[in-house]
Amino acid sequence: MTDVQFPVMSQKDPTAAGVVSTWYVADGEQVAADQLLAEVQLDKVDVEVPAPCGGTVHLSAEEGAEVVQGAVIARID
Amino acid sequence: MTVTDNPTSTRRLNTSKAMVEAIAAEMDANPEVFYLGEDVGAYGGIFSSTTGLLDRFGPERVLDTPISETGFIGLAIGAATEGMRPIVELMFADFMGVCLDQIYNHMAKIHFESGGNVKVPMVLTTAVGGGYSDGAQHSQCLWGTFAHLPGMKVAPSTPADAKGLMTAAIRDDSPVIYMFHKGVMGLPWMAKNPRSIDVVPEGEHIVEIGKAAVAREGTDVTIVTVSLSVHHALDVAEKLDSDGISAEVIDLRSLVPLDRDAICASVAKTGRLVVVDEDYLSYGMSGEVVASVTDRDPSLFKAPPVRVAVPDIPIPYARPLEYAALPRQDRVEEAVRAVLR
Repeated sequence: MTDVQFPVMSQKDPTAAGVVSTWYVADGEQVAADQLLAEVQLDKVDVEVPAPCGGTVHLSAEEGAEVVQGAVIARID
Repeated sequence: MTVTDNPTSTRRLNTSKAMVEAIAAEMDANPEVFYLGEDVGAYGGIFSSTTGLLDRFGPERVLDTPISETGFIGLAIGAATEGMRPIVELMFADFMGVCLDQIYNHMAKIHFESGGNVKVPMVLTTAVGGGYSDGAQHSQCLWGTFAHLPGMKVAPSTPADAKGLMTAAIRDDSPVIYMFHKGVMGLPWMAKNPRSIDVVPEGEHIVEIGKAAVAREGTDVTIVTVSLSVHHALDVAEKLDSDGISAEVIDLRSLVPLDRDAICASVAKTGRLVVVDEDYLSYGMSGEVVASVTDRDPSLFKAPPVRVAVPDIPIPYARPLEYAALPRQDRVEEAVRAVLR
Protein backbone atom coordinates (compact mmCIF):
# COMPACT_ATOMS: atom_id res chain seq x y z
CA MET A 1 0.00 0.00 0.00
CA THR A 2 1.45 3.32 -1.08
CA ASP A 3 0.14 6.73 -0.15
CA VAL A 4 -0.06 9.46 -2.76
CA GLN A 5 0.43 12.89 -1.24
CA PHE A 6 -0.44 16.36 -2.38
CA PRO A 7 3.02 17.55 -3.46
CA VAL A 8 4.81 20.14 -1.37
CA MET A 9 4.77 23.20 -3.61
CA SER A 10 5.35 26.00 -1.10
CA GLN A 11 8.52 25.72 0.97
CA LYS A 12 7.76 29.04 2.66
CA ASP A 13 4.43 27.98 4.10
CA PRO A 14 4.29 24.29 5.15
CA THR A 15 0.56 24.59 5.90
CA ALA A 16 -0.32 26.01 2.50
CA ALA A 17 -3.42 24.48 0.94
CA GLY A 18 -4.08 23.85 -2.73
CA VAL A 19 -6.76 22.27 -4.86
CA VAL A 20 -7.01 18.89 -6.54
CA SER A 21 -8.01 20.44 -9.85
CA THR A 22 -8.37 17.31 -12.00
CA TRP A 23 -8.45 13.57 -11.44
CA TYR A 24 -7.31 11.64 -14.49
CA VAL A 25 -8.23 8.28 -12.96
CA ALA A 26 -11.40 6.90 -11.45
CA ASP A 27 -11.66 5.36 -8.01
CA GLY A 28 -10.81 1.65 -8.12
CA GLU A 29 -9.05 1.81 -11.46
CA GLN A 30 -5.88 -0.09 -12.32
CA VAL A 31 -2.95 2.24 -12.87
CA ALA A 32 0.64 1.76 -13.99
CA ALA A 33 3.68 3.34 -12.37
CA ASP A 34 4.20 6.93 -13.59
CA GLN A 35 0.72 7.13 -15.08
CA LEU A 36 -0.83 10.58 -14.68
CA LEU A 37 -3.15 10.49 -11.66
CA ALA A 38 -4.04 14.10 -11.05
CA GLU A 39 -3.25 17.73 -11.55
CA VAL A 40 -3.11 19.93 -8.48
CA GLN A 41 -2.90 23.68 -8.13
CA LEU A 42 -1.41 25.89 -5.46
CA ASP A 43 -0.94 29.65 -5.83
CA LYS A 44 -1.81 29.44 -9.54
CA VAL A 45 0.92 26.86 -10.16
CA ASP A 46 -0.10 23.51 -11.70
CA VAL A 47 1.72 20.30 -10.87
CA GLU A 48 1.11 16.82 -12.21
CA VAL A 49 0.89 13.93 -9.77
CA PRO A 50 2.11 10.65 -11.30
CA ALA A 51 1.50 7.22 -9.79
CA PRO A 52 4.47 6.22 -7.59
CA CYS A 53 3.76 2.55 -8.37
CA GLY A 54 1.29 0.34 -10.18
CA GLY A 55 -1.86 -1.11 -8.64
CA THR A 56 -5.45 -0.26 -7.77
CA VAL A 57 -5.97 3.39 -6.98
CA HIS A 58 -8.31 4.60 -4.23
CA LEU A 59 -9.09 8.30 -4.23
CA SER A 60 -9.47 10.11 -0.92
CA ALA A 61 -10.00 13.69 -2.09
CA GLU A 62 -12.80 15.06 -4.22
CA GLU A 63 -12.02 16.95 -7.41
CA GLY A 64 -12.05 20.63 -6.52
CA ALA A 65 -11.39 19.94 -2.85
CA GLU A 66 -8.96 22.14 -0.94
CA VAL A 67 -6.13 20.06 0.49
CA VAL A 68 -3.12 20.94 2.65
CA GLN A 69 0.13 20.10 0.92
CA GLY A 70 1.58 16.81 2.07
CA ALA A 71 -1.87 15.38 2.83
CA VAL A 72 -2.79 11.98 1.40
CA ILE A 73 -5.05 12.31 -1.64
CA ALA A 74 -5.00 8.69 -2.81
CA ARG A 75 -3.75 5.21 -1.96
CA ILE A 76 -2.46 2.56 -4.32
CA ASP A 77 -2.84 -1.13 -3.38
CA MET B 1 -5.16 -8.66 -7.71
CA THR B 2 -6.37 -8.94 -11.28
CA VAL B 3 -3.61 -8.38 -13.76
CA THR B 4 -4.69 -7.02 -17.09
CA ASP B 5 -2.62 -7.34 -20.23
CA ASN B 6 -2.21 -3.62 -20.56
CA PRO B 7 -3.01 -1.84 -17.32
CA THR B 8 -2.40 1.56 -18.91
CA SER B 9 -4.96 1.13 -21.69
CA THR B 10 -7.21 3.50 -19.79
CA ARG B 11 -4.58 6.17 -19.45
CA ARG B 12 -6.31 9.52 -19.75
CA LEU B 13 -4.93 12.89 -20.74
CA ASN B 14 -6.51 16.23 -21.38
CA THR B 15 -6.42 17.64 -24.89
CA SER B 16 -3.43 19.91 -24.30
CA LYS B 17 -1.29 17.09 -22.89
CA ALA B 18 -2.30 14.83 -25.79
CA MET B 19 -1.30 17.53 -28.26
CA VAL B 20 2.06 18.07 -26.53
CA GLU B 21 2.68 14.31 -26.43
CA ALA B 22 2.31 14.13 -30.22
CA ILE B 23 4.59 17.12 -30.78
CA ALA B 24 7.25 15.75 -28.42
CA ALA B 25 7.18 12.32 -30.08
CA GLU B 26 7.65 13.84 -33.53
CA MET B 27 10.43 16.13 -32.26
CA ASP B 28 12.13 13.09 -30.76
CA ALA B 29 11.86 11.16 -34.00
CA ASN B 30 12.74 13.93 -36.44
CA PRO B 31 15.36 16.66 -35.81
CA GLU B 32 13.74 18.81 -38.51
CA VAL B 33 10.64 19.37 -36.37
CA PHE B 34 10.72 22.52 -34.22
CA TYR B 35 8.17 24.82 -32.57
CA LEU B 36 8.06 28.59 -32.53
CA GLY B 37 5.66 31.30 -31.47
CA GLU B 38 4.79 33.79 -28.76
CA ASP B 39 5.11 32.47 -25.19
CA VAL B 40 5.61 28.90 -26.35
CA GLY B 41 8.90 28.49 -24.44
CA ALA B 42 9.13 29.17 -20.74
CA TYR B 43 5.41 29.90 -20.47
CA GLY B 44 4.47 26.68 -22.27
CA GLY B 45 1.84 28.28 -24.47
CA ILE B 46 -0.88 30.45 -23.01
CA PHE B 47 -3.32 27.56 -23.50
CA SER B 48 -0.75 24.89 -22.56
CA SER B 49 -0.06 23.84 -26.13
CA THR B 50 3.71 23.46 -25.50
CA THR B 51 4.06 22.72 -21.78
CA GLY B 52 7.44 21.15 -21.03
CA LEU B 53 8.81 21.26 -24.58
CA LEU B 54 11.45 23.91 -23.82
CA ASP B 55 12.86 21.88 -20.91
CA ARG B 56 12.97 18.79 -23.06
CA PHE B 57 14.26 20.14 -26.36
CA GLY B 58 15.98 23.41 -25.51
CA PRO B 59 15.78 26.93 -26.95
CA GLU B 60 17.14 25.97 -30.37
CA ARG B 61 14.08 23.85 -31.10
CA VAL B 62 11.46 25.67 -29.04
CA LEU B 63 11.67 29.34 -29.96
CA ASP B 64 10.00 32.23 -28.18
CA THR B 65 9.37 34.88 -30.79
CA PRO B 66 8.70 38.59 -30.52
CA ILE B 67 5.23 39.91 -31.33
CA SER B 68 5.90 39.86 -35.06
CA GLU B 69 3.56 37.34 -36.65
CA THR B 70 4.43 38.21 -40.23
CA GLY B 71 8.11 37.74 -39.44
CA PHE B 72 8.02 34.48 -37.56
CA ILE B 73 5.34 32.81 -39.68
CA GLY B 74 7.41 33.82 -42.69
CA LEU B 75 10.42 32.26 -40.98
CA ALA B 76 8.50 29.01 -40.60
CA ILE B 77 7.43 29.03 -44.24
CA GLY B 78 11.02 29.57 -45.35
CA ALA B 79 12.25 26.77 -43.12
CA ALA B 80 9.54 24.46 -44.48
CA THR B 81 10.42 25.16 -48.10
CA GLU B 82 14.03 24.28 -47.22
CA GLY B 83 12.99 20.91 -45.83
CA MET B 84 12.40 21.47 -42.14
CA ARG B 85 9.08 20.71 -40.45
CA PRO B 86 8.20 23.76 -38.38
CA ILE B 87 5.20 24.07 -36.12
CA VAL B 88 4.38 27.73 -35.73
CA GLU B 89 1.82 29.05 -33.29
CA LEU B 90 -0.44 32.01 -33.94
CA MET B 91 -1.49 32.77 -30.37
CA PHE B 92 -5.11 33.52 -31.27
CA ALA B 93 -6.77 32.84 -34.64
CA ASP B 94 -8.21 36.32 -34.19
CA PHE B 95 -4.72 37.70 -34.92
CA MET B 96 -4.66 36.31 -38.46
CA GLY B 97 -5.24 39.82 -39.75
CA VAL B 98 -1.70 40.95 -39.08
CA CYS B 99 -0.07 38.03 -40.92
CA LEU B 100 -2.62 36.78 -43.43
CA ASP B 101 -0.44 37.51 -46.45
CA GLN B 102 2.16 35.03 -45.20
CA ILE B 103 -0.55 32.45 -44.54
CA TYR B 104 -2.73 32.56 -47.62
CA ASN B 105 -0.46 34.04 -50.27
CA HIS B 106 2.73 32.22 -49.34
CA MET B 107 2.18 29.20 -47.09
CA ALA B 108 -0.92 28.14 -49.02
CA LYS B 109 0.23 28.91 -52.55
CA ILE B 110 3.95 28.10 -52.83
CA HIS B 111 3.32 24.47 -53.72
CA PHE B 112 0.93 25.50 -56.51
CA GLU B 113 3.02 28.37 -57.81
CA SER B 114 6.15 26.23 -57.96
CA GLY B 115 4.35 23.77 -60.18
CA GLY B 116 4.38 21.27 -57.36
CA ASN B 117 8.16 21.42 -57.05
CA VAL B 118 8.32 23.01 -53.60
CA LYS B 119 6.68 21.44 -50.59
CA VAL B 120 5.63 23.38 -47.49
CA PRO B 121 5.48 20.74 -44.75
CA MET B 122 4.48 22.89 -41.79
CA VAL B 123 1.79 23.14 -39.15
CA LEU B 124 0.22 26.41 -38.08
CA THR B 125 -1.30 25.94 -34.65
CA THR B 126 -3.75 28.47 -33.30
CA ALA B 127 -6.17 28.84 -30.41
CA VAL B 128 -9.80 29.45 -31.27
CA GLY B 129 -13.17 29.90 -29.64
CA GLY B 130 -15.01 31.74 -26.92
CA GLY B 131 -17.09 31.11 -23.86
CA TYR B 132 -14.81 32.63 -21.25
CA SER B 133 -15.36 36.40 -21.68
CA ASP B 134 -12.28 37.31 -23.66
CA GLY B 135 -13.98 39.81 -25.91
CA ALA B 136 -14.62 40.16 -29.62
CA GLN B 137 -10.95 40.06 -30.67
CA HIS B 138 -10.00 36.91 -28.70
CA SER B 139 -13.05 34.65 -29.02
CA GLN B 140 -13.52 33.85 -32.68
CA CYS B 141 -13.14 30.49 -34.40
CA LEU B 142 -12.67 31.83 -37.94
CA TRP B 143 -12.12 28.35 -39.36
CA GLY B 144 -14.58 29.18 -42.12
CA THR B 145 -12.28 32.00 -43.21
CA PHE B 146 -9.21 29.75 -43.27
CA ALA B 147 -11.13 26.93 -44.96
CA HIS B 148 -12.41 29.29 -47.64
CA LEU B 149 -8.87 29.93 -48.87
CA PRO B 150 -7.58 27.10 -51.08
CA GLY B 151 -4.36 25.21 -50.49
CA MET B 152 -4.63 24.45 -46.82
CA LYS B 153 -6.06 21.79 -44.59
CA VAL B 154 -7.80 22.72 -41.39
CA ALA B 155 -7.98 20.34 -38.50
CA PRO B 156 -9.89 21.39 -35.42
CA SER B 157 -9.83 18.58 -32.92
CA THR B 158 -11.65 16.96 -30.10
CA PRO B 159 -9.59 15.64 -27.19
CA ALA B 160 -9.44 12.02 -28.27
CA ASP B 161 -8.12 13.06 -31.69
CA ALA B 162 -5.73 15.81 -30.64
CA LYS B 163 -2.75 13.49 -30.60
CA GLY B 164 -3.58 11.58 -33.76
CA LEU B 165 -4.41 14.63 -35.85
CA MET B 166 -1.28 16.45 -34.65
CA THR B 167 0.90 13.50 -35.63
CA ALA B 168 -0.76 13.41 -39.05
CA ALA B 169 -0.42 17.19 -39.43
CA ILE B 170 3.33 17.19 -38.68
CA ARG B 171 3.95 14.34 -41.12
CA ASP B 172 1.84 15.92 -43.88
CA ASP B 173 3.87 17.40 -46.74
CA SER B 174 1.35 20.23 -47.14
CA PRO B 175 0.60 23.03 -44.70
CA VAL B 176 -1.96 22.15 -42.04
CA ILE B 177 -3.72 24.66 -39.82
CA TYR B 178 -4.36 22.97 -36.50
CA MET B 179 -7.02 24.91 -34.62
CA PHE B 180 -7.43 23.96 -31.00
CA HIS B 181 -10.45 25.29 -29.12
CA LYS B 182 -9.53 26.67 -25.70
CA GLY B 183 -12.62 24.98 -24.28
CA VAL B 184 -11.46 21.47 -25.19
CA MET B 185 -7.92 21.77 -23.84
CA GLY B 186 -8.88 20.70 -20.32
CA LEU B 187 -7.20 23.63 -18.62
CA PRO B 188 -7.69 23.80 -14.85
CA TRP B 189 -8.37 27.55 -14.97
CA MET B 190 -11.14 27.31 -17.56
CA ALA B 191 -14.70 26.10 -17.05
CA LYS B 192 -14.65 22.37 -16.26
CA ASN B 193 -15.30 20.23 -19.30
CA PRO B 194 -15.31 16.50 -18.51
CA ARG B 195 -15.18 15.66 -22.22
CA SER B 196 -11.76 17.33 -22.46
CA ILE B 197 -10.21 14.40 -20.61
CA ASP B 198 -10.23 11.04 -22.31
CA VAL B 199 -8.26 7.92 -23.00
CA VAL B 200 -5.33 8.66 -25.32
CA PRO B 201 -3.45 5.78 -26.97
CA GLU B 202 0.18 5.49 -25.94
CA GLY B 203 2.93 5.28 -28.54
CA GLU B 204 2.37 6.18 -32.16
CA HIS B 205 -1.18 7.27 -32.88
CA ILE B 206 -2.29 8.75 -36.20
CA VAL B 207 -5.73 9.98 -37.20
CA GLU B 208 -6.10 10.55 -40.92
CA ILE B 209 -7.04 14.15 -41.70
CA GLY B 210 -10.30 14.34 -43.62
CA LYS B 211 -12.22 11.47 -42.06
CA ALA B 212 -15.15 12.44 -39.87
CA ALA B 213 -16.02 10.42 -36.78
CA VAL B 214 -19.45 9.28 -35.65
CA ALA B 215 -19.21 10.58 -32.10
CA ARG B 216 -22.60 9.07 -31.28
CA GLU B 217 -24.90 6.92 -33.35
CA GLY B 218 -28.56 7.82 -33.75
CA THR B 219 -31.51 7.41 -36.09
CA ASP B 220 -33.83 10.45 -35.84
CA VAL B 221 -31.63 13.45 -36.57
CA THR B 222 -28.03 14.17 -37.58
CA ILE B 223 -26.03 16.84 -35.77
CA VAL B 224 -22.93 17.77 -37.78
CA THR B 225 -20.34 19.83 -36.00
CA VAL B 226 -16.69 20.18 -35.00
CA SER B 227 -14.45 20.91 -32.00
CA LEU B 228 -16.05 22.13 -28.75
CA SER B 229 -19.52 22.05 -30.29
CA VAL B 230 -19.17 18.26 -30.54
CA HIS B 231 -19.14 18.22 -26.73
CA HIS B 232 -22.25 20.42 -26.59
CA ALA B 233 -24.00 18.26 -29.20
CA LEU B 234 -23.22 15.12 -27.19
CA ASP B 235 -24.63 16.76 -24.05
CA VAL B 236 -27.84 17.52 -25.95
CA ALA B 237 -28.02 14.06 -27.54
CA GLU B 238 -27.69 12.40 -24.15
CA LYS B 239 -30.39 14.63 -22.69
CA LEU B 240 -32.82 14.04 -25.59
CA ASP B 241 -32.28 10.31 -25.37
CA SER B 242 -34.57 10.23 -22.33
CA ASP B 243 -37.26 11.92 -24.43
CA GLY B 244 -37.04 9.15 -27.00
CA ILE B 245 -35.10 11.26 -29.51
CA SER B 246 -32.13 9.47 -31.07
CA ALA B 247 -29.57 11.98 -32.31
CA GLU B 248 -26.50 11.07 -34.31
CA VAL B 249 -23.48 13.32 -33.77
CA ILE B 250 -20.91 13.65 -36.55
CA ASP B 251 -17.55 15.13 -35.57
CA LEU B 252 -16.07 16.49 -38.78
CA ARG B 253 -12.53 16.65 -37.30
CA SER B 254 -11.44 18.79 -40.24
CA LEU B 255 -13.06 21.35 -42.51
CA VAL B 256 -10.59 20.84 -45.35
CA PRO B 257 -10.81 18.11 -46.48
CA LEU B 258 -14.51 18.00 -45.60
CA ASP B 259 -15.90 14.48 -45.24
CA ARG B 260 -18.98 15.00 -47.37
CA ASP B 261 -19.53 11.23 -47.65
CA ALA B 262 -19.95 10.95 -43.89
CA ILE B 263 -22.40 13.87 -43.83
CA CYS B 264 -24.51 12.43 -46.64
CA ALA B 265 -24.42 8.90 -45.23
CA SER B 266 -25.80 10.10 -41.92
CA VAL B 267 -28.48 12.34 -43.45
CA ALA B 268 -29.49 9.47 -45.73
CA LYS B 269 -30.21 7.53 -42.54
CA THR B 270 -31.96 10.24 -40.50
CA GLY B 271 -33.36 12.65 -43.11
CA ARG B 272 -32.89 15.56 -40.72
CA LEU B 273 -29.86 17.78 -40.26
CA VAL B 274 -28.75 20.29 -37.67
CA VAL B 275 -25.38 21.94 -38.29
CA VAL B 276 -23.67 23.48 -35.28
CA ASP B 277 -20.82 25.90 -35.96
CA GLU B 278 -19.08 28.16 -33.46
CA ASP B 279 -18.15 30.49 -36.31
CA TYR B 280 -20.19 33.19 -38.00
CA LEU B 281 -23.38 32.05 -39.69
CA SER B 282 -23.07 33.58 -43.13
CA TYR B 283 -20.71 32.26 -45.84
CA GLY B 284 -19.30 29.61 -43.54
CA MET B 285 -19.07 25.97 -42.55
CA SER B 286 -22.76 25.59 -41.77
CA GLY B 287 -23.80 26.54 -45.30
CA GLU B 288 -21.08 24.32 -46.77
CA VAL B 289 -22.31 21.30 -44.83
CA VAL B 290 -25.89 21.84 -46.00
CA ALA B 291 -24.65 22.25 -49.60
CA SER B 292 -22.77 18.98 -49.27
CA VAL B 293 -26.16 17.28 -49.09
CA THR B 294 -28.14 19.44 -51.54
CA ASP B 295 -25.39 19.22 -54.18
CA ARG B 296 -25.77 15.45 -54.19
CA ASP B 297 -29.37 14.70 -53.33
CA PRO B 298 -31.73 17.28 -51.82
CA SER B 299 -34.40 14.59 -51.56
CA LEU B 300 -32.52 13.15 -48.58
CA PHE B 301 -34.06 15.90 -46.45
CA LYS B 302 -37.39 15.12 -44.79
CA ALA B 303 -37.32 18.62 -43.28
CA PRO B 304 -35.37 21.81 -44.01
CA PRO B 305 -31.95 21.69 -42.33
CA VAL B 306 -31.33 24.01 -39.38
CA ARG B 307 -28.11 25.92 -38.77
CA VAL B 308 -26.95 26.94 -35.30
CA ALA B 309 -24.01 29.33 -35.48
CA VAL B 310 -22.70 32.63 -34.17
CA PRO B 311 -24.94 35.38 -35.53
CA ASP B 312 -23.12 37.87 -37.75
CA ILE B 313 -22.07 40.11 -34.85
CA PRO B 314 -18.85 40.58 -32.87
CA ILE B 315 -18.79 38.14 -29.94
CA PRO B 316 -19.82 40.05 -26.79
CA TYR B 317 -17.69 40.21 -23.64
CA ALA B 318 -20.57 40.15 -21.13
CA ARG B 319 -21.10 36.49 -20.23
CA PRO B 320 -24.90 36.33 -20.70
CA LEU B 321 -24.62 38.07 -24.06
CA GLU B 322 -21.69 35.90 -25.08
CA TYR B 323 -23.57 32.73 -24.15
CA ALA B 324 -26.58 33.99 -26.14
CA ALA B 325 -24.37 34.44 -29.21
CA LEU B 326 -22.52 31.11 -28.99
CA PRO B 327 -24.10 27.83 -30.16
CA ARG B 328 -24.42 26.32 -26.72
CA GLN B 329 -26.55 23.43 -25.51
CA ASP B 330 -29.78 25.44 -25.23
CA ARG B 331 -29.72 26.58 -28.85
CA VAL B 332 -28.65 23.15 -30.12
CA GLU B 333 -31.52 21.47 -28.27
CA GLU B 334 -34.01 23.99 -29.60
CA ALA B 335 -32.79 23.35 -33.16
CA VAL B 336 -33.00 19.59 -32.82
CA ARG B 337 -36.55 19.82 -31.53
CA ALA B 338 -37.45 22.26 -34.34
CA VAL B 339 -36.12 20.03 -37.11
CA LEU B 340 -38.14 17.11 -35.74
CA ARG B 341 -41.41 19.02 -35.62
